[in-house]
Amino acid sequence: MSDLYNESEQQAPRSGLLLLQVLILGLFCLFAVRLWYLQIHRGEEYQVKALENQLRQESIPSPRGLIRDRNGDLLAVNEPAYALGIIREDCPDVDRLVHQIATWTGKDYFELKTLYNKNRKRVKPFEPLIIVPDLTFAQLAVVETNKLRWPGLEIQFRPRRLYRYGTLLAHVLGYVAEADEEDLNKRPELALGDYVGKQGIELMLEDRMRGIKGRTQYQVDVNGRRLKERILKHPQAGREISLSIDLELQKLCMDWLAEEAGGVAVMDADTGQLWALATAPSYDSNDFSSGLSSKQWAKLRDDPLHPMQNRVIQSVYPPGSIFKHVVAGAGLHYDMIDPKETVFCSGSMKLGRRIFRCWRKGGHGKVDLRRALIESCDVYFYKQGKKLTVDRMSAFAKAVGFGEKTGIRLPHEKAGNIPTREWKLKRFGESWQGGDNLNMAIGQGFTLVTPLQVVRFFAGLANGGKLLKPLLLKDEKTDIQARIPLKPDQLELLRQGLIDTVEDAHGTCRRIRTKGVTVGGKSGTAQVVRLTDELKALKDDDIPYRFRDHAWMAAIAEKDGRRFAIACLVEHGLHGGSGAGPIIKAVIDYLFEGKITPNPEERKAKARAVRALSLKHKEKRHAH
Amino acid sequence: MPIDRRLLLYINWPLFGLAVILFLIGVLNLYSASGTRLEAGMNMAPYYHRQLLWGLMGLIGMVVFMFFDYRHLKTMAWPLFWITVILLVAVFFAGKTIYGARRWLDLGFMNFQPSELAKIAILIVGARILSREREPLNFIRLAYVLGVGLVLAGLIIKQPDLGSGLSILMILGGMILFRGVTARVFKTCLVAIPCLLPLSWFFLHDYQKQRIMTFLDPTTDPLGAGYHIIQSEIAIGSGGFWGKGFLEGTQSQLRFLPERHTDFAVAVFGEEWGFVGTMILLTLFCVFLYQLVVIARDARGLFGSYLSAGVFFYFFWQILINTGMVLGLMPVVGIPLPFISYGGSATLVNFCLVGLVLNVSMRRFLFKQA
Repeated sequence: MSDLYNESEQQAPRSGLLLLQVLILGLFCLFAVRLWYLQIHRGEEYQVKALENQLRQESIPSPRGLIRDRNGDLLAVNEPAYALGIIREDCPDVDRLVHQIATWTGKDYFELKTLYNKNRKRVKPFEPLIIVPDLTFAQLAVVETNKLRWPGLEIQFRPRRLYRYGTLLAHVLGYVAEADEEDLNKRPELALGDYVGKQGIELMLEDRMRGIKGRTQYQVDVNGRRLKERILKHPQAGREISLSIDLELQKLCMDWLAEEAGGVAVMDADTGQLWALATAPSYDSNDFSSGLSSKQWAKLRDDPLHPMQNRVIQSVYPPGSIFKHVVAGAGLHYDMIDPKETVFCSGSMKLGRRIFRCWRKGGHGKVDLRRALIESCDVYFYKQGKKLTVDRMSAFAKAVGFGEKTGIRLPHEKAGNIPTREWKLKRFGESWQGGDNLNMAIGQGFTLVTPLQVVRFFAGLANGGKLLKPLLLKDEKTDIQARIPLKPDQLELLRQGLIDTVEDAHGTCRRIRTKGVTVGGKSGTAQVVRLTDELKALKDDDIPYRFRDHAWMAAIAEKDGRRFAIACLVEHGLHGGSGAGPIIKAVIDYLFEGKITPNPEERKAKARAVRALSLKHKEKRHAH
Repeated sequence: MPIDRRLLLYINWPLFGLAVILFLIGVLNLYSASGTRLEAGMNMAPYYHRQLLWGLMGLIGMVVFMFFDYRHLKTMAWPLFWITVILLVAVFFAGKTIYGARRWLDLGFMNFQPSELAKIAILIVGARILSREREPLNFIRLAYVLGVGLVLAGLIIKQPDLGSGLSILMILGGMILFRGVTARVFKTCLVAIPCLLPLSWFFLHDYQKQRIMTFLDPTTDPLGAGYHIIQSEIAIGSGGFWGKGFLEGTQSQLRFLPERHTDFAVAVFGEEWGFVGTMILLTLFCVFLYQLVVIARDARGLFGSYLSAGVFFYFFWQILINTGMVLGLMPVVGIPLPFISYGGSATLVNFCLVGLVLNVSMRRFLFKQA
């Protein structure tokens, strides 16, 4: 503190003071000259640039390619739709505007605001941020009349995808929805709010169908209103595609699956083209085009019957008796089955201390290969399975395409499962047992297949051994993926076995006989649970839905050089013959005679009743 | 202690008036920049409201800084220095990270940037050291003075906040020049600094290099860093001689100009008030700076002179760099224009420093007391 007030009376250094004044002068001169240069010397030039700045550009959406069925019927088109967006740079008070939009459209303010905040950073300056993707005409009218009073409000025309048969082909066509973060990163040409294929063909052929956006330029005034507009580049529509699907046949299949859960695949056995790919229950593709509400989405996601699931390619089931043709094929291939050799079926077979039963309690008596296939005798196949063991059965099953994806042009296909000794050891930590061979031989146990793999295999039986890639497009080239490793005469044995199963008086597929058409088939049931004695005692109609076996049937049909393979699975349909048979029959009638057999009301009513019963059962169980 | 009436008499009223006028011009300009419109969906209207509030707080701060005898700061110089160092170190351990830089201390009611305090500390410590130097600085003394500044600057640059760190060195550098250095030192620096500048290139972050490259040729990056420069030049240039008029600037009103309420605020002004208006603003700033020189000249004792010189440089560099950037003479660096750009703590500090030099000016009559 001592020197606080007795500082020397020295004056500030004069050179320093001079320096400061020079700096001020320098600063003044520098900026004065620069201002003169910018504002006076080049002022006019900059005024022109500022005017140019009032021009904005925006992209014109391109309509997606149309989708037709094999006969040219339109399945997916575009319809005009109007989206409501906000150009935030023009908007004096976003909150108020969002509130107003909520009032106009009856949507929830907070939901809109959340959407706005989520996308705020992702929109380029002066581009509209879409907040209501789909205005109804009533809403459009209201907004249009108020537009001028709300700067920043933007109505955007954009084509919307319309599926003319929303639920009929949802799993084939898939759906489009607004591009999410991932899409935007993957495809730089996409902007926020653009629609992209998310599922099915729409996803797989996205690049072909999207088209190229156009660009337009327009001048705005201070309130962001458009003054003049000029199109810089016209948009290019996406390419049209034709599916291999036959719309009428698809309708028929979906009608027969109504009220039930299951899948049907119909394949042209010579080209591999799928004429129908039906799976039920389904959802409506259109629900996604205008943005699914979270409620709708939750309903779809939590539905116990999983309508989003494509049961033909994504659901795996034990093949049941239809696997017997694979086992028979393996036996023939390894020369371990002599078609003439007979086996005595007494209704059951012992292995160690366990008893393996045939589905017919009284037994089939003496059966050879042909008879065993016709009557689907379990004991015969137990014996063959014991001989062949898992190694040969698996090798053959894999050779004819089971346990791997078919490569159909749809996302998320499942491969199913063909068990091997190593697989069981890894999966369960147990070694392969003798009993496992027996179960495998009748298509139960660890083997899991998709209806699509089944239809491919059966098409192979029909066409002389070619395993064809399942195709969904009409102009796709037939692709022979592999051949069934059997000699022609052996193959003919299996094919004849299918035909006999339909023609023979004891055959399990009698109900699909069709006059003038060579039809072959194989039915099967896929066990869902090992039935307890309590359940076994029940009549079919009293077994709760959840415990009922899945019904399988696969068929081949030929007339005048046209050959088809059909696979059908009805979940919890009890028996192949009654559950899946009528559907196959209806398909054959349509394919060769153009006949439409509608699903009888009583079948639908029964399915509904069963469903109700199963719900009651559930409630009862919860009550205990 | 009764307030001496002469205290009020000796206040440098022109400086006070200019500060308030400049600040009001800034608020008016902010009003236009926000134009009751939006920046990326944020309502801008509160900007000028908030700026007015900060201005009021600034005035209170200014009075506080005038109230005591500034010469007490001499004894407080070193304690203040060490407190600043402690706070800067504390930022490393307890700082809040915003935008990837640890610069803030959370005080509960506000986020406090110790680097702002460091700017005041360097003024006071610098003034204290330099006012005792009897001779122009030789190498040894120069190293000592610079060392003190480097302690603060180094801590700040590590945050990382290169802008604030460099501004501290520039304020101190200005004060050193004001004191004067020996001819040898001057000549050496004249040769050495241009040689060392290219070396600093290696210490710059990529984005800073990018900005310099962009500055050299804005067209290389017309939508990124160059966008600011291009749009800013268009705004200023299109103002022409008379300007487009208040609230009429299309660049600003059509929102092409980014950062128009902060770093590029003066571009809005240039567009709407033209060559005439901008020259008036420039003149006001120069007179403002000249008043600081007057106070430094008339101050009682060297400590006051050096304080004023420090404040001079505090404002001078900001005006030079910000306006240089807006006029396209310098690379884009985030330095605001005093009184014109929106900014809470900056406004507060600006007014407090004006208060400090007013303090120096009003106590210039105090005679030596036994």
